[in-house]
Amino acid sequence: MFLKNTWYVACQSHELTDKPLGRKVCGESMAFFRGPGNQAAAVEDFCPHRGAPLSLGKVCDGKLVCGYHGLEMGCDGKTVAMPGQRVRGFPPVKRFAVVERYGFIWVWPGDADLADESAMPVFEWFENPQWAYGGGLYHIACDYRLMIDNLMDLTHETYVHSTSIGQTEIDETPSKTTVDGDKVVTSRFMHNIKAPPFWQMALRANDLPDDQLVDRWQICRFTPPSHVLIEVGVALAGQGGYDAAPEHKAYSVVVDFITPETETSIHYFWGMVRQFKPQDAALTEQIRKGQGAIFAEDLDMLEQQQKNLSANPQRALLMLNIDAGGVQSRRVIERLWAQEQAVMKSNSAQGAA
Amino acid sequence: MSTIDQDFVVEIASTGQVIEIPAGQSVLHTLMFEGFDIPFACEEGVCGTCLTGVKSGEIDHRDQYLTPEEQASQTQFLPCCSRAKSDKLVLDL
Repeated sequence: MFLKNTWYVACQSHELTDKPLGRKVCGESMAFFRGPGNQAAAVEDFCPHRGAPLSLGKVCDGKLVCGYHGLEMGCDGKTVAMPGQRVRGFPPVKRFAVVERYGFIWVWPGDADLADESAMPVFEWFENPQWAYGGGLYHIACDYRLMIDNLMDLTHETYVHSTSIGQTEIDETPSKTTVDGDKVVTSRFMHNIKAPPFWQMALRANDLPDDQLVDRWQICRFTPPSHVLIEVGVALAGQGGYDAAPEHKAYSVVVDFITPETETSIHYFWGMVRQFKPQDAALTEQIRKGQGAIFAEDLDMLEQQQKNLSANPQRALLMLNIDAGGVQSRRVIERLWAQEQAVMKSNSAQGAA
Repeated sequence: MSTIDQDFVVEIASTGQVIEIPAGQSVLHTLMFEGFDIPFACEEGVCGTCLTGVKSGEIDHRDQYLTPEEQASQTQFLPCCSRAKSDKLVLDL
């Protein structure tokens, strides 16, 4: 169950070169390629001739050329040409609406005619010299909602990430969850604690002492369809915590774009943006590597959790106070999904009439 | 489809044989049943494999293979999907 008439990150811009890229999003097999003027495009990954994946072909002059028998596909899903054939009557394949923005290629896996560019999320930090971004991509065999649960309940850090960002004070400090329309926010503020290793590193990188007590915060923000942005940071204790002046703190935003591949697998685009020393590319890479190693610790847990759930679909799970963020996020998704289903039903009824 | 299917006949130019094409059955399938060996592939007027010459009669073109000019010339058709507006087509077979 996923929302389809909305924008998801399909790939990082650098992943789409002069070759096509095959990727499944929300159950739709797509072939991404760069059409005329280098503009990103996506069509069904299915050659109308013999069903070969078009992504196994190549790109020539802005057309996607099937790697099996040379059918040339255009960005609109219509066959442009094929050696020795007249293509006028070839049936079109599905095209998908695509926008390249913020270093990512975004796709609308539902009805391309409904695609609304103005509905794309807006971020202040991408392509902004005052901020630096580093990130990566993991494929994880789990329901995208398990990843949302994970990011909206950071008590797991104490156990899964015990050597980097975990500490018992996370479990001991209650979180607060609020819902504002389609947005869910779960926040936790800790005071007078020791900074865990990752944050000690960040303090040093921002020319701050790493051996003093700090105030630490985690503010997890879910927005549909499945983005989770988490404000995280530490400030030297007594300097105002979250509101401390920049010279007293190290802080960043964890950027999570979760793209369902199937019902039980995701493309997980993780990253971090920061405002301290944004021009320091070596620091960006150091943080990226550190975050990549930490987030890789979730992979096995999530995949084994999914296996357990798939093997025991009848079992009810506990929803505890720490799960409030995930529970509320799922409620938002379910509400929007019901709305989308109603629209699709009325559209298809109109189409049939 | 542009019109309701109707019965008509085709005449084989080389032999004079006349074959009835019933409504709801394609010229291609009827000729194959009568033993003619006409190459075909898509059976929906896309590929052009079954292209056959027409010597006389008015064709009801239903394919997406021939250009409008070629269709207007009334000299060839695709028996997998196209039919006749006249009572008879004489085929160059």
